[in-house]
Amino acid sequence: MIQIRDLHCFTVDVCAEDAAVVERVKDRVRERGRQWWELEASKGAAWYLHCQAQQSLSFIAAFNAIQLRMLIRKGIPPQLRPRIWLFLSGAAKKRSTVPHSYYKDLVDAVRDKTTAATRQIDHDLDRTFPTHPWLSSPAGQQTLRRVLVAYSFRDSRVGYCQGMNFVAGLLLVVMKTEEDAFWMLAVLLENVLLSDTYSDNLYGCHIEQRVFKELLRKKCTRLALHFEAMDFDVSLLTTEWFLCLFAKTLPSETTMRIWDVLFNEGAKVLFRFALGILKMKEEELLPMKHADELVKVVQDFARRSFDPDVLFKVAFDKVGSMTMQTIDKHRRKQQPAVMAELAGRSQRIM
Amino acid sequence: MALSSSSSSVSGNEFDHLFKILLIGDSGVGKSSLLLRFTADTFDDLSPTIGVDFKLKLMTLEGKRLKLTIWDTAGQERFRTLTSSYYRGAQGVILVYDVTRRDTFTNLQDVWLKEVELYSTNQDCVKLLVGNKVDRDSERAVSQHEGIAFARKYGCLFLESSAKTRINVQQCFEELVRKILETPSLVAEAKSVKKNILRPGNEPPPPENAGSCAC
Repeated sequence: MIQIRDLHCFTVDVCAEDAAVVERVKDRVRERGRQWWELEASKGAAWYLHCQAQQSLSFIAAFNAIQLRMLIRKGIPPQLRPRIWLFLSGAAKKRSTVPHSYYKDLVDAVRDKTTAATRQIDHDLDRTFPTHPWLSSPAGQQTLRRVLVAYSFRDSRVGYCQGMNFVAGLLLVVMKTEEDAFWMLAVLLENVLLSDTYSDNLYGCHIEQRVFKELLRKKCTRLALHFEAMDFDVSLLTTEWFLCLFAKTLPSETTMRIWDVLFNEGAKVLFRFALGILKMKEEELLPMKHADELVKVVQDFARRSFDPDVLFKVAFDKVGSMTMQTIDKHRRKQQPAVMAELAGRSQRIM
Repeated sequence: MALSSSSSSVSGNEFDHLFKILLIGDSGVGKSSLLLRFTADTFDDLSPTIGVDFKLKLMTLEGKRLKLTIWDTAGQERFRTLTSSYYRGAQGVILVYDVTRRDTFTNLQDVWLKEVELYSTNQDCVKLLVGNKVDRDSERAVSQHEGIAFARKYGCLFLESSAKTRINVQQCFEELVRKILETPSLVAEAKSVKKNILRPGNEPPPPENAGSCAC
């Protein structure tokens, strides 16, 4: 094993084979950057900001939107991510509805306050990506703290939930400025993900886990049946995937590639990639009889998924169609069961 | 069938008993670190556990070959809605606090013991109280005496440990398992368990067989 820095400066322990993959991915990212610059030259500066199909009925806009979707699935160059993510996700729009000084005012107003959320945040700062030189530095940790604390006051019903630290940490690495990271976190929790994913009973998280299990049964039937026969609850793997949006599970560039499509296509892609990871290991998992082996195989595979395109191919070509409408239908179906489960719990506690 | 009957083959090893053990307690007290020290004898600054994690450990104690599935749970309060289903069928629960943080100790009484009462399905489930991080003795906020008093009051075993320096980590798990082995209902239950080791659920446990009378 050797220790290297990946594309985004995270320290990773890899074998020689994986180190070569990381290098290849770096080259591919540079190449992708060139393609985007060329398009910029032919279509005009920041053409991608003006081509969402629903905003315009023009043929060119529609064509550009399709081309943009395909381009994004191939990956946004790291230098362009801040600008494109802000736009695609709706974060830029969200920010434009409040006074310019909103974030600064919020940070100033809550600076010296202590709450359950701030206490938990303080416990987690040095446990969030200690493998990243800036995030593990005092400056990085204080920045992450400001973003998380500010958000905990913006929505005190959510406050702070573990998992958000990894999401905000990776957002800071991408977005560079803390205010942009804050707005990305806000748009994720308020618009992109199912609401109440992180709230005080993790209602949304419970829903998504149940929806995922149903999709697994549909799209990966043999594996779902195998898990059932083993009495293996797949949430053991996937809770972390859905709460950290893969940031704690997959290598940094692979996670960011998933977020590229997450912000453009919506939360359905989380299911696509969760299914994709399991599908890629399906043949290996089917003969396994022990949960510990199974968990290890999947976790090792995820940790070593340095080449995003391998996973993308399976997630988009082998998982089948998946629309936001289908996901919403499944979500609605699971609501009564989750509500009953959580209500049962609060009754027992009281 | 995975993790089901006693004395089946596990990765080529035979075992006499399969026990399910749960680690609970506030966020950051060192549950994952204790587990990592016990299963891999290493110490690392670990990231917070999101949801539930588990590790397997084979050990021999008092001539018995044992297979332990040890469940490590997220400590933040809201995660209890995800972790409570994992109490089912556990023969042992390790309640961990950080000796340098008093609130993690008081929360065991206010919160975590209640969770055990509500969700544990084994009446005789063995409880072990562990005060972790004794390597930071100068910052100690909970005395050993208080730990002993708590354990006596609530019928727990008690140890102080340090996952960082290894102190008492092996002993924690050994003492717990020894006590489980001394409890006939738990041993009988571990033998009769056929299913539901790996699957959380809210339905009541299957009817116990004759071996698990209240004793």
